[in-house]
Amino acid sequence: MKRNKEIIFGLYGDEQDLLAAVKSAKDRNLEIYDVYSPFPVHGLDPLLGLRESRLHIAGFLYGLTGALIAFLGMSWVFTRDWPIIFGGKPYWSVPAFVPIVFEVTVLLSAIGMTITFFVVSGMGFGVSNETLHDSITDDKFCLAFDKAEADEATVRQVLQESNAEQVHEKMIKA
Amino acid sequence: MNRFEFSGKLRITLLIGIGIGLLSMILTYFIGDDDLNSRFWSNFLHNSSFFTGISLMAVFFIAASVTAWAGWYVVFKRLWESFSIFLFAGLILMTILGIGNYFQWHFLYHWADDGSVAHDAVLKGKSAFLNKNWYLVGGLLIMGIWIFFRQKMRRLSIMEEKQIMGDYSIHQKLRIYSAVFLPIAGFSSAAMIWLWLMSLDAHWYSTLYAWYTASSWFVALVAMVIITLLFLKKLGYYEQVTDEHIHDLGKFLFAFSVFWAYLWFSQFMLIWYANVGEETVYFKIRKDEYSWLFYGNVVINFVVPFFALIANSFKRHKLWLVIISAVVFVGHWLDFFLMIKPGVLHTAHELIGHGIENEEVLMHHHHLPAGFGFPGLFEVGTFIGFLSLFLFLVFSSLGKAGLVSQADPYIEESLHHHV
Amino acid sequence: MIAPVSKIREPLVYGHKTYHQITEDLVAPTEKAPSLSWMLVFIPALVLLVFGVFSIYWTIYVGIGTWNLNKTINWGWDITNFVWWIGIGHAGTLISAILLLFRQKWRTGVNRAAEAMTIFAVMCAGLFPLIHMGRIWDAFYIMPYLNTRGPVWPNFNSPLLWDVFAISTYLIVSLLFWYTGLVPDLATIRDRSAGLRKKIYDFFSLGWTGAAKHWQRWEYLSLILAGLATPLVLSVHTIVSFDFATSVIPGWHTTIFPPYFVAGAVFSGFAMVQTLMLISRKVLNFEQYITLNHIESMNKVILTTGSIVGVAYLTELFISWYSGYIYEQFAFFNRALGPYWWAYFGMMFANVVSPQFFWSGKIRRSVGWTFFLSILINIGMWFERFVIIVSTLARDFLPSSWSFYSPSWVEIGIYLGTFGLFFTMFLLFTRVAPVIAIAEVKHILKTSGDQYVGKDAEIQH
Repeated sequence: MKRNKEIIFGLYGDEQDLLAAVKSAKDRNLEIYDVYSPFPVHGLDPLLGLRESRLHIAGFLYGLTGALIAFLGMSWVFTRDWPIIFGGKPYWSVPAFVPIVFEVTVLLSAIGMTITFFVVSGMGFGVSNETLHDSITDDKFCLAFDKAEADEATVRQVLQESNAEQVHEKMIKA
Repeated sequence: MNRFEFSGKLRITLLIGIGIGLLSMILTYFIGDDDLNSRFWSNFLHNSSFFTGISLMAVFFIAASVTAWAGWYVVFKRLWESFSIFLFAGLILMTILGIGNYFQWHFLYHWADDGSVAHDAVLKGKSAFLNKNWYLVGGLLIMGIWIFFRQKMRRLSIMEEKQIMGDYSIHQKLRIYSAVFLPIAGFSSAAMIWLWLMSLDAHWYSTLYAWYTASSWFVALVAMVIITLLFLKKLGYYEQVTDEHIHDLGKFLFAFSVFWAYLWFSQFMLIWYANVGEETVYFKIRKDEYSWLFYGNVVINFVVPFFALIANSFKRHKLWLVIISAVVFVGHWLDFFLMIKPGVLHTAHELIGHGIENEEVLMHHHHLPAGFGFPGLFEVGTFIGFLSLFLFLVFSSLGKAGLVSQADPYIEESLHHHV
Repeated sequence: MIAPVSKIREPLVYGHKTYHQITEDLVAPTEKAPSLSWMLVFIPALVLLVFGVFSIYWTIYVGIGTWNLNKTINWGWDITNFVWWIGIGHAGTLISAILLLFRQKWRTGVNRAAEAMTIFAVMCAGLFPLIHMGRIWDAFYIMPYLNTRGPVWPNFNSPLLWDVFAISTYLIVSLLFWYTGLVPDLATIRDRSAGLRKKIYDFFSLGWTGAAKHWQRWEYLSLILAGLATPLVLSVHTIVSFDFATSVIPGWHTTIFPPYFVAGAVFSGFAMVQTLMLISRKVLNFEQYITLNHIESMNKVILTTGSIVGVAYLTELFISWYSGYIYEQFAFFNRALGPYWWAYFGMMFANVVSPQFFWSGKIRRSVGWTFFLSILINIGMWFERFVIIVSTLARDFLPSSWSFYSPSWVEIGIYLGTFGLFFTMFLLFTRVAPVIAIAEVKHILKTSGDQYVGKDAEIQH
């Protein structure tokens, strides 16, 4: 069900304050909508309980696909489609396949992973996700709550106690 | 526990290992060998060069890390340092071989046989480099330089303990010695590898050989560091070494195994591709007569560590990491076996068989003498002996200084290291 | 939560920067009208580019005969330039990927520019083999695809085809790596701008919000791409070296070529980064972000790789004697004392001797010296490729067909044109995107800012 979300958020000037705020919100069992920052804040992931990304598994599978395509493709061309002897080598000269197999493996793995990353993160050319505050990409760290999911009074208390520099509300389209 | 105690039990175990090695060598010499004692001496060279090289790589690692301002390894830098102690043993062992050239104790090197050189234009052409004097004097000189730097860097590293916090003058000195050692090691290791190992196939040459061999040493070093470090942790030492450090060592093992494979492939593929008879002979003999070792080499030293260490969780599993390290360590020992044995056998055939071409002998008798086609019991015994001697020296040296440096400039970073 | 930093380390960001100040400083060049100094570099670059385009046009219109190649020396400036540019294109990925894996924090000051440089250098490099084909309109023949003309014809056993795969893969992966890193910074510009400018940056920043999960995945992706790019960068110059080393030509067929080419590539790439960075930090006012500390670190890499290259040169030289093979020995005799002896000694001096000056800490930290030596090394590495290619081919198997070669104006024009392309692209890049990775500099501020580490540190944690 789509609905507009009423977000209430606090902005911090330092990542240590943000971490403390997240901790205190977690301690009070507040449902955190999301956390935004101008750069990756270390120590945040375990606090938020984010599980490790599985991009590498996707990358491995893409790479494997690439390796198979390249290896089987070249094997087919040189044994079935157009077998030709080059430099006195057998038709099926595996050592000579290694460079191309390697390149195609890396190519598919990299392209696949990058596309996967943007797709699962809901990003892409022309995609315009609404942001909460312009200073998030500059120097402010943002802790946001959805009013429908977290009790507003507690949220305000947490934001105040953790010395949020600013507290704002914003309606965003879901 | 910041001081390692070389316990009696461990001492005895290692002494027994050394005993097994000595016994194997004696038995090889008297009952398991040919007229020239090629088996005994090739085993001698095999293990001496393998462990000496590991020791050299340990000095190289420290020098490179100091130069690159690396911090992560500092908690257990004493372990790396103690690995370099075997250089002393290497000096003695390789000097024995050097003297042996004069008195014909062994016939490992075709170029050391005056009769052969006199009738062989190629060997004659190389004699300015491949000769007994340079083997002995050059070896002494270069290993002497290695030992000098090893001693200097170790001393400075221990002296750091006594300086006042915030005074980095000793570390600055260490940086200078480290930086100077790197190019010296670069040139001299290549010279020694050509002399000790590549010249076993005296007619053959490959420009990449030295770097390839050095990378093999380096991987073996990392594998052995992992094994000893986790062993020490098991004994209760090195509590400060966390999963993060182990993880990084796992990465090193992974990365340098891939690098080794890269060099292996570059050398093999270029020779295979160009198909020049004088060069391909090296791989042809190994592929045809030593096919298990030839293919096994790539499997054990590349395929196994690649898939076994590809995921982060694999690198953090201690027992798994020890098993893979052990496999890779033995794998590189086998790599050296494969580098050394065919050439020695060739020379022995030349000298015994009076000019019968080795390839022919090999082609016609699909039967290699014991200890040459595949490591036999005596080879394994000799390996155990050398390994025990190596570890004995390492542990003796380890006990001489605090396990964890208190004063290295990077110690705090290393103690709080996160991947 | 902040990891301790040894006091022996020097700061990487000077001027007591705040996060906001970093944004202001690094975005500034994209928001101001181009400065006079920018225009003074841009106009000549554009002129060179136009001249290059004309030379390429002339080559295609009249034919490859406008070059001075002959039947003995069939590779000349074109392939020399190709290898040279590809080499230069190696430092970007090295700085980004390998230094990321080795956690060298100083990479953050220079990685973005180096990656951009990589992409432009690879574009310049790719141009040469394409033109050298002679019939550029048939270039699609190198692509293996199922077709109606018959079987799949490309020769997968040929190192030249490996090159096609390696270079296109390298270009694409470098682009992905670079762009992924750029997205958060483009979002920063987006959130500072208005109107059409905002719309454009909104389009290119892909909807970046800075959410925690996105950062986590972004860091993860960067790390894996770095892991992939590291062997990739090795493979590219390795495969370029295979073009020579798989042959049976003395002087070309030698097993050390792969790692030696890679080291040489990194060497020349860093020299070029140095040249560009020394200019950029001045022109764009980035002295507090690209510090003497950065320059010194890069000089150390130059010294290291230069020495590796030196070891490789001497290894080759030694083994050619050791081989006892007269043709091999002649190849090296010819390099040093043949008709192109000046190129050989130029190469030896510029590549092996000149980086040795960097043993001196004073010279490592001197902007003037570094600039001079970086240019010298760039020239030296060009000589290296020229020596390998031309001096070898000039004295081939039959003395009756020995020959001499010097380039025509068209060949020189195309080479100058690639400089034009390279600098035009780079200068445009400085106008539209941050040349220093904003988010990454903020990320290391608390462990590398001069208010936190070094001798002037005021804040302890």
